[in-house]
Amino acid sequence: MDHRLEWTRRHFFSRSGTGLGVAALASLLPGELQARTGGMPGIPHFAPKAKRVIYLFQSGGPSQMETFDYKPRLTEFQGTNLPESVRMGQRLTSMSASQSSFPVVPSRYSFAQHGKSGAWVSELLPHTAKVADDLCFLKAVHTEAINHDPAVTFLQTGSQVAGRPSMGSWVVYGLGAETEDLPAFVVMISPGSGGTGQPLYDRLWGNGFLPSKFQGVKFRSVGDPVLFLTDPPGFSKENRREYLDALNQMNEAAFAESGDPEVMTRIAQYEMAFRMQSSVPELTDLSKESDSVFAMYGDESRKPGSYAYNCLLARRLAERGVRFIQLYHRDWDHHANLPKGLPKMCQQTDQPTAALIADLKQRGMLDDTLVVWGGEFGRTVYCQGRLTKDDYGRDHHPRCFTIWMAGGGIKSGMTLGETDDYCYNIVSGGVHVHDVQATILHCLGVDHTRLTYRFQGRYFRLTDVHGNRIKEILA
Amino acid sequence: MLRLLFFVAACILSALAGDVEFNRDIRPVLSDRCFACHGPDAANRKSKLRLDQEQGAKADLGKGRFGIVPGSPERSEVFKRITSSNKALRMPPAYAGHDKLGEREIKLIREWIEQGAPYQQHWSLIPPKRPPTQPTDVHPIDQMVRVRLEREGLHPAPEAERHTLLRRVTLDLTGLQPSPAEVDAFLADRSPGAYEKVVDRLLASPRFGERMAIRWLEAARYSDTNGYQTDGPRDMWRWRDWVIDAYNRNMPFDQFTIEQLAGDLLPHPTLSQRIATGFHRNHRTSAEGGIVDEEFRLEYVADRTETTATVWLGSTLGCARCHDHKYDPFTQKDFYSLSAFFNNVPEKGFVYNFGNEEPFIKAPLPEQAKRLAELDARAASAKQAADSQEQLLEKAQAKWERGLARAKPLEWSVTTAQIFEEPVAGDTHFDGRRVIEGGKESPKIDYRDPFTFSAWIKPQGDGAILSRGEDYFEGHGHYLYVLNGRIRLHHVFRWTDLGMRVESAEPIAMNQWQHIAVTYDGSMKASHVKIYVNGEIQPLKILFDQGIWPLDVKGPWRVGAGGGKFFNGDIRGVRVYKKELTPAEVATLPLEGPVNSIAAKPAASRTQAEKDKLRFCFLDGRAPRKILKARAAWSAAQAERDQYYSGIPTVMVMEEMPRPRVTHVLRRGAYDNPGEAVEARTPAALPPMPDSLPHNRLGLARWLVDKSNPLTARVNVNRYWQMLFGVGLVKTVEDFGSQGEWPVYPEILDWLAVEYMESGWDTKHILKTIVMSGTYRQASRVTPEALQRDPENRLLARGPRVRLSPEMIRDQTLASSGLLVEKVGGPSVKPYQPPGLWQELQGGKGYEQDHGEGLYRRSLYTYWKRTVAPPMMINFDAATRETCVVRETRTNTPLQALNLMNGVTYLEAARKLAERMMLEGGGSAATRLAYGMTLVVARPPSPKEAAILAAALERFRAGFRTRPAQAVEYLKQGESPRDGRLEPEELAAYTGVANLMLNLDQAVTKD
Repeated sequence: MDHRLEWTRRHFFSRSGTGLGVAALASLLPGELQARTGGMPGIPHFAPKAKRVIYLFQSGGPSQMETFDYKPRLTEFQGTNLPESVRMGQRLTSMSASQSSFPVVPSRYSFAQHGKSGAWVSELLPHTAKVADDLCFLKAVHTEAINHDPAVTFLQTGSQVAGRPSMGSWVVYGLGAETEDLPAFVVMISPGSGGTGQPLYDRLWGNGFLPSKFQGVKFRSVGDPVLFLTDPPGFSKENRREYLDALNQMNEAAFAESGDPEVMTRIAQYEMAFRMQSSVPELTDLSKESDSVFAMYGDESRKPGSYAYNCLLARRLAERGVRFIQLYHRDWDHHANLPKGLPKMCQQTDQPTAALIADLKQRGMLDDTLVVWGGEFGRTVYCQGRLTKDDYGRDHHPRCFTIWMAGGGIKSGMTLGETDDYCYNIVSGGVHVHDVQATILHCLGVDHTRLTYRFQGRYFRLTDVHGNRIKEILA
Repeated sequence: MLRLLFFVAACILSALAGDVEFNRDIRPVLSDRCFACHGPDAANRKSKLRLDQEQGAKADLGKGRFGIVPGSPERSEVFKRITSSNKALRMPPAYAGHDKLGEREIKLIREWIEQGAPYQQHWSLIPPKRPPTQPTDVHPIDQMVRVRLEREGLHPAPEAERHTLLRRVTLDLTGLQPSPAEVDAFLADRSPGAYEKVVDRLLASPRFGERMAIRWLEAARYSDTNGYQTDGPRDMWRWRDWVIDAYNRNMPFDQFTIEQLAGDLLPHPTLSQRIATGFHRNHRTSAEGGIVDEEFRLEYVADRTETTATVWLGSTLGCARCHDHKYDPFTQKDFYSLSAFFNNVPEKGFVYNFGNEEPFIKAPLPEQAKRLAELDARAASAKQAADSQEQLLEKAQAKWERGLARAKPLEWSVTTAQIFEEPVAGDTHFDGRRVIEGGKESPKIDYRDPFTFSAWIKPQGDGAILSRGEDYFEGHGHYLYVLNGRIRLHHVFRWTDLGMRVESAEPIAMNQWQHIAVTYDGSMKASHVKIYVNGEIQPLKILFDQGIWPLDVKGPWRVGAGGGKFFNGDIRGVRVYKKELTPAEVATLPLEGPVNSIAAKPAASRTQAEKDKLRFCFLDGRAPRKILKARAAWSAAQAERDQYYSGIPTVMVMEEMPRPRVTHVLRRGAYDNPGEAVEARTPAALPPMPDSLPHNRLGLARWLVDKSNPLTARVNVNRYWQMLFGVGLVKTVEDFGSQGEWPVYPEILDWLAVEYMESGWDTKHILKTIVMSGTYRQASRVTPEALQRDPENRLLARGPRVRLSPEMIRDQTLASSGLLVEKVGGPSVKPYQPPGLWQELQGGKGYEQDHGEGLYRRSLYTYWKRTVAPPMMINFDAATRETCVVRETRTNTPLQALNLMNGVTYLEAARKLAERMMLEGGGSAATRLAYGMTLVVARPPSPKEAAILAAALERFRAGFRTRPAQAVEYLKQGESPRDGRLEPEELAAYTGVANLMLNLDQAVTKD
């Protein structure tokens, strides 16, 4: 329905102006409309703390025991079989369910407390440790899925089953965009330590049953940053402008003939495409970033496609009003060879992640940007596969894992939730995936129970029929 | 403005004044605002009051209170509560975040109660009756539309211009635009039957089946990959081609239904009928390591149930998977009872990642079946030729045996495909520490390779005989053990879930020499492993059967060690073959010593193994050439046949287990929380399944297309309507329940539904009926007033104007350029796609684009990878094929603009279209541009458009003239050659304009 509103507006301008091209319209729009396009009436439901989200998704399931959830007693339990009193018959994946034993394995990496908050952070994350006071750790997140596909899908869409809109799609559907020059929902993917990692799927940023204009747009490091963005070789910028002028004239004639407002919407879309042809290269042109910025994010940030580069780009996207910025870093799935794989992943992500926090903060943007870090589940305290002196692996563990949030709307320097000495079950402060989702929406000024879309006769929401905002961590 | 439009839209669908109708005016409100707590879901009903049933609504609630008192809103608790000024009492409850009912809704409820609060059965559950129409020349659809338009004070639009109409109907029925010749012919044909002739021609075109198939493929969630995380390939194109063929042959829809749901259960099913059942194997399947098999198997059963409900019943039965339906009269038990029909497939939850999962069948194309029969015959005759020499062979062998008595000792054993040997010459003892390593470079054995391990052993206890792989018990590799006194084989990718483990059911003898062998045929079935002791097959015990993942086993073969274990006892004569030795061959292995000694025995006292060994030895190059040649010919013919057979496509199909599984209600939908057992049964709210029907999928299929079923015909004609008008008569094509939309023209829906059934479910007939109506043929032009009155054209006072579907956009582009390769069916193809799309999400080799005709086939043949679907299709709102989708949606985005401006397909097509304009379009720019427009939008440009296009051409030309190198560069897109006869700058200018034509709103819109 909203494009009709848009049409009316555009129609007014194009008919009342004297030969004003639609391209010029954006600058003529009243400030408020220019600031925000689309979105649902009545949303935000209340004053938002955050205008945008940067979600740093660590795909594969980082081990909480080697990163943030310090469990000193595991050293005592080392090599002993996980007691049944702890496991309590809870289900395991079929990758380890038939193991003959479940030997407990402690983190090989040491922990220390950091900052005023005294947050425990592993030695593998020295940079994150430095910004610990800006973060809010949820140490007792739990999920329902135990395999990657359902678990990532659950975190990103609120349902394990395919077909629901992703979080970013919901947010953009509800809140609309703050810029017309870039997509409102951008996705960036970086390969992990082995240059690969667990597969991802388009549905994670898909629009589900929402209109497809709400789907996440991948910014890619191979070829065009946005699919089909670049004009073909030999076709100059002038050619494109001439082309669009003629195309618009043709389409305006079609509008005069048909009276169909979709034609005017189409003209507007072609103009937005044209603007993206400038705004995206401007976005990805890092030549104006200072050396100190690159030093902050690390050398890798000069390399398109790396996690560090994507973090820097995330900041630039945030500056330009992109609503939902979703990163994926793949390869946290350490079933085996954890001591080989996990430090590499930490090394790739630690500095850029911390830099992003610090960078947003120094630019005064952390106050209205919500940053979320985490994977789809945690990992088992027991060793999967062969436990040797130097080597171990961990299977998927849905019952407790750590996610941290920072920035707009979230208290900083705090920890919520506690797991038991085995890092197996939750002792207190447990939050469900739906609670995390409800909280993200809350920071954006959205009541998760009232952001709905009717489909198949039902009012669907991101949080299904569950979820509560996590009041303890709200600033 | 926005609210106003919503309001107008709502008014179209509801009462004007006076009579309130429950189904149209009241049920939607009650359902949407009340049923969740006062509806069919007993577990979640918040009080005694239920409003979905008349009895419940009017029952005594105690203390003299009644939900609804007919005739008296004031005494009706419902009315009091919806109008209460006390927020704590008001319904729907404010505390649960619900808004107050609107004034209009309250007024309708008041009037309804005043009129006695009559209930009606939900409209879609009442069997359709054909509404009366006048026996005039006016099309029945038009009659019904006109009554309504008159009431609304609207007038139908005039008929669309002829070229517009031709393009509309051609796109709708074939998915492609009319050719210039077809346009000319239609414009020239002024006979009254001209349009009908066109319709008949289109319905007879093979393109019709392709056009119809695409929507069915989306509903059927058809794909070339499995979906879920690993998203490996599968082959279902034989099913896809079955669908195209069925549409083209105009298979009646009842038969179309029965064959797809239960073709395998028909008496003596044909190959075609079995292929049809692929419909319900099209769902996603998971090969993600670590999944719980039963969890996913039940997911597939649920998918079939939900898909069946959506496609045939227009019901959101899936809502009843975890609890009773909140709006419609479906219980959770109904869901699982229906699912029981689909729960008897002999299938697994954790599937094969690299091809079709069982059950599947070979599905040869007719010419393949013919060729296979030839090859079978040839192999048979070659065998016969070889067999016919038996006497000759025996004679020659007898002579050779006699010679052996005097000859030097001849040592012989099977060595074909032997890849490793360790005789352990000398000391054969292994003391629990000793290991012999070797054969590091010998070929690898993968999971689909056959192999044979053989050795002589004299065990003193448990230990490893032979291994290759990681040196711990749960490691990755091949391991042959004596374990628990038994022969044990491990063939492992990952111990816990991917590999094969078997053992001999009985212990073997300790402390004595014996020959053991293990063979495997590479079939990914543990039951195909054979364990032999002294040449005799032992009973097998399967410990783990999931050898379905490629192995990467490195390092040397290790004799006497492996899996962290060593051997105690003696070992010698170890051999590994990359071949499954036959039982007869294995039986010869324990026979040691020169064959001369066997030959020395009288023939009658030789064992079968001895006879075989002599024979094998003789045939190993010692028999007369003529015999060897015939044998070689036979094995070559057989190999050719086998190779051809392995290339014949397969398709996954439905099968019924001999003993059906017991289906349970699953509490909260959880696989590990079964409740009561249920029988296969159709939902209780729908007409019962006649006893005469079998209680299996076949019975279910027949019930779905039984004329007493109120839904199937309506739901399907409604989708045809959607396909032609862009929106269904019931907009919620997937939901005919109480939350679905009240049909904007219930009488047309019912008329068509009855017509469909009475015509014998004649799909072409029903489509023709609709496109012959004046309503369909109206011009689509809209005025601002009409737009405001009816923005979505639900009242049909004008013709449809909607954006084309993604595949139509691409297909018409290829057609206008002349690149389109029309060929019905075959394996899916991989046209241009931006590089790296698969790798960035999935790793691996990625998308291997086709060359040649695969680039230019119709889009329904484009390879569909579920987790990374083709961007051209997804950008334009195609369903992802992860689940059943029947609603057509259309958006308008900048990504679409970029795609059409810069995608290789569109740039290449523009170049070829430009060539056509220049070569076929006459001598002047004007005629060439007019020809181009006719190729794309089936009409010449208006004078105004002609002027715009000519000016654009001139500007491009001027630009490229000053930069000729760029013209050449610009023309390099795509793999088809550029016509060298044409001057590059001129061609580039035309290419720019051609690309513009393909991007016109008109080009991507059906009007």
